[in-house]
Amino acid sequence: MNHPTPARPLPPAPSFVASSLRIMDLSISEMLWSRRTVFMLLIVSAPVLIALFVRLLVGLGAPLFEETRNGVTTVRMTGPAIFGMMIWIFYLRFTVPVLGVFYGTSLIADEVEDKTITYLFTRPIAKGAVLVGKYLAYLVCTVFVVLPSVMLVYLLIVPMQGSLGGSFLDLLKDLSLLALGLAVYGAVFAFIGAKFKRPLLIGLIFIFGWEQAALAFPGYLKYYTVAYYLQALVPHAMPNDSTLSMIQGIFRQTPGMATSLLGLFVIWAIFLSVAAWVVERREYVLEQ
Amino acid sequence: MSTTATPIVSAEKVSKWYGQVIGLNDVSVAVPPGITGLLGPNGAGKSTFMKLITGQLAPNKGSIKVLGEPIWRNPHLYYQIGFCPEQDAFYERMTGLEWVTALVRLNGLGEKEANEAAIRALTVVDLMEAANKKIGAYSKGMRQRVKLAQSIVHDPQLLILDEPLAGMDPIARRKTIRMIREWARNGKSIIVSSHILHEIESMTANILLINNGRILAEGDVHAIRDLIDEHPHTVYVRADNPRGLARDFIDRTDVRSMRFEEGAVVVETGKPDAFYTRVTELAASGEYGTIEEVTSPDDNLQAVFQYLVK
Amino acid sequence: MPIHDQSYRRYGGQRSSLGQSWMVIARAGIMNMLRKRAFMGLLLFAWLPFVVRAVQIYVASNYPQTATFLAPDAKMFRDFLEQQDFFIFVMTIYVGAGLIANDRRANALQIYLSKPLLRSEYIAGKAAVLFTFLMLVTWLPAILLLFLQVMFKGSFEFLRANLFLFPAITIGALLQALLATFTMLALSSLSKSSRYVGILYAGVVFFTAAIYGAMYAITGSTSLSWLSLGSNLAQVVDVIFRQTPRYTTPWQVSLIVVLGLIALSISVLERRVRGVEIVT
Repeated sequence: MNHPTPARPLPPAPSFVASSLRIMDLSISEMLWSRRTVFMLLIVSAPVLIALFVRLLVGLGAPLFEETRNGVTTVRMTGPAIFGMMIWIFYLRFTVPVLGVFYGTSLIADEVEDKTITYLFTRPIAKGAVLVGKYLAYLVCTVFVVLPSVMLVYLLIVPMQGSLGGSFLDLLKDLSLLALGLAVYGAVFAFIGAKFKRPLLIGLIFIFGWEQAALAFPGYLKYYTVAYYLQALVPHAMPNDSTLSMIQGIFRQTPGMATSLLGLFVIWAIFLSVAAWVVERREYVLEQ
Repeated sequence: MSTTATPIVSAEKVSKWYGQVIGLNDVSVAVPPGITGLLGPNGAGKSTFMKLITGQLAPNKGSIKVLGEPIWRNPHLYYQIGFCPEQDAFYERMTGLEWVTALVRLNGLGEKEANEAAIRALTVVDLMEAANKKIGAYSKGMRQRVKLAQSIVHDPQLLILDEPLAGMDPIARRKTIRMIREWARNGKSIIVSSHILHEIESMTANILLINNGRILAEGDVHAIRDLIDEHPHTVYVRADNPRGLARDFIDRTDVRSMRFEEGAVVVETGKPDAFYTRVTELAASGEYGTIEEVTSPDDNLQAVFQYLVK
Repeated sequence: MPIHDQSYRRYGGQRSSLGQSWMVIARAGIMNMLRKRAFMGLLLFAWLPFVVRAVQIYVASNYPQTATFLAPDAKMFRDFLEQQDFFIFVMTIYVGAGLIANDRRANALQIYLSKPLLRSEYIAGKAAVLFTFLMLVTWLPAILLLFLQVMFKGSFEFLRANLFLFPAITIGALLQALLATFTMLALSSLSKSSRYVGILYAGVVFFTAAIYGAMYAITGSTSLSWLSLGSNLAQVVDVIFRQTPRYTTPWQVSLIVVLGLIALSISVLERRVRGVEIVT
């Protein structure tokens, strides 16, 4: 066949990784300045505000950390313990999965909804690289908003009845596990977003339905959650702040660090690859 | 349509449906190099065809080749294809220059090269003055032009333009039409869709008519006109004595109907060639006075289209 | 033979009076949801707890030896409504997120409001869609359980002794449905993306719960339960069912928060549902 030849030699095809990084470049600013980031800031600023509030109360002399029984005053709570609880209640159970579901399910859906996906899918890169690039942009955005919030809470709370130096290793562990959580939940929800028609609902049912229920039962169900592996890495005691968390506490198992990391890696790798695979093969029909 | 040239796009028995709605129905077509106009009313299947040949959708049946290769899941082909979609969608917070640069980087160009290519493309579409403004602040015409810029920025061999003139003012339209012709003269192949017939007419005589998900006709507009000669052809004859002319025409078996307009008779004939010969004779003889004007509204694409979709 | 004008004619028939057009919107919205198979599945799923409770009532009524631990009481009905919270949450997002957001996205609000339709009717019509489905998974099954109790037992004794259950179920379900409906509608009017609305709603529900959870963990007291949307509702419904309130927050405070949220949502709707929108 005698086809028209290109006017100039074609540049070498960018690799999958290079394509993903370029998509990430393109997406980061759009993601950072979106309304969604306002929502994210609202979420991560809440624990900081609470920390400030607690600090203020203690500064004003409120006996938040002490308990007096039969005339004897004992230390009921310490700064590091409160910090640990906030990691559990705010970040691990709420912020990380919610941001994962919010951003992860929107990676491709946003572009489809805004009808800008055409520009990316008619470039010489694999469609899967578009998803991975946007996933990387999500990770950078969320990590750089969530982690500073954790550090602020740490700096505000831990010095009360505790020392910054003594808990510093725990802080590093917390930061790493939250970044890990964002990565793994993001991958799971990227897949749900790529595959299903109503990803948000499925995502919310997964985190607030399936994961919560599975952790409250004995047996193998909990192996099919992200929370099981992630919670095993937390260096703080699990709080019993509700009936559900008490039941979860009863049936709680903590796999070793290696098992947890391996479990998280497997979930991450499988879901991200399958998500890219789905995007590669799926047709996106834009609304007219 | 001349099929001697190697087709740039070929579709073999392609069907595409969305659930129970059919978008394209058993379409086989070969698009030659040069400018080809894709014509059809709204909902005819133009956009589906565009999406199929740009690899955004896969056919349910049949196969599509672009530049000799299947397009679905073949991203390497996009080095040679530039696509300007119909939808008015952008990353509104980016400037035109940033946007075009970012997109051409996906074609493998480095930062500096990409920036230079974007500047070149924006200059071609006459948008350099607004290159550093946010796209969100662009007028409709500017948005169309920045879309065109991203489609030509990597110097593709084949340009696929979906309704590129939509929303442009008349001057911008003229400029864009000139630009498209210029690209074709420089050896690019262009497939351009529109539902406004005179837009396509002003770019090319090479057309693909599409309606109800089927290709209705393809090729040179005049050749298509010849093919439909069995359809009634309307001829407008302005003369000193239109009623005298009508008396002459009424005996002709090819004349199907007549009506009068101010100083003119409008005749519907089944044999236009024979009819034109007779009109020429009458004009020469002066039997019914002077014949001032003989025109046919059927010479434009509108009429061709109307005939074909009847 | 009469010859009819084929061109445009104004409608000459009887028009429904102003103030009733909301029913058109409500009917269209309800029918639209009922056509979706996934939604019908969800609706059926939401009735599973009803089946379980019905079996419980049947067993307790017919096997006296189980009556000590299975016999229905006010708490059972209160627990049933609480169990439906999960379905209320899912259904509110499924049905409610797009109710106004989708109209805003398609610029349909201007079309609606260019008809003889008041803004309040538009809001009422949209609210009726979600409200109907929420009552369908709360009030209706709870009332049916009450009815089943009488049927299975063959006696009005329980009903006579617990006559307050009828208004309690009605008011409890109404509060649950109204709070979810108006909060969701207000959020739906704030955005053009139903996905964004869905996550905002989930955010409001779980975020307020997380704030209260943290404060409870820090202070060891439940007096700040008014910070959580769900806790306020639980507190008020406990009182309605004559149960001991679970938090130390006065139930009046929780009721004020719930009613305040509904009022705030209506105020947001009043501001956001307008025919003319400045597009930037």
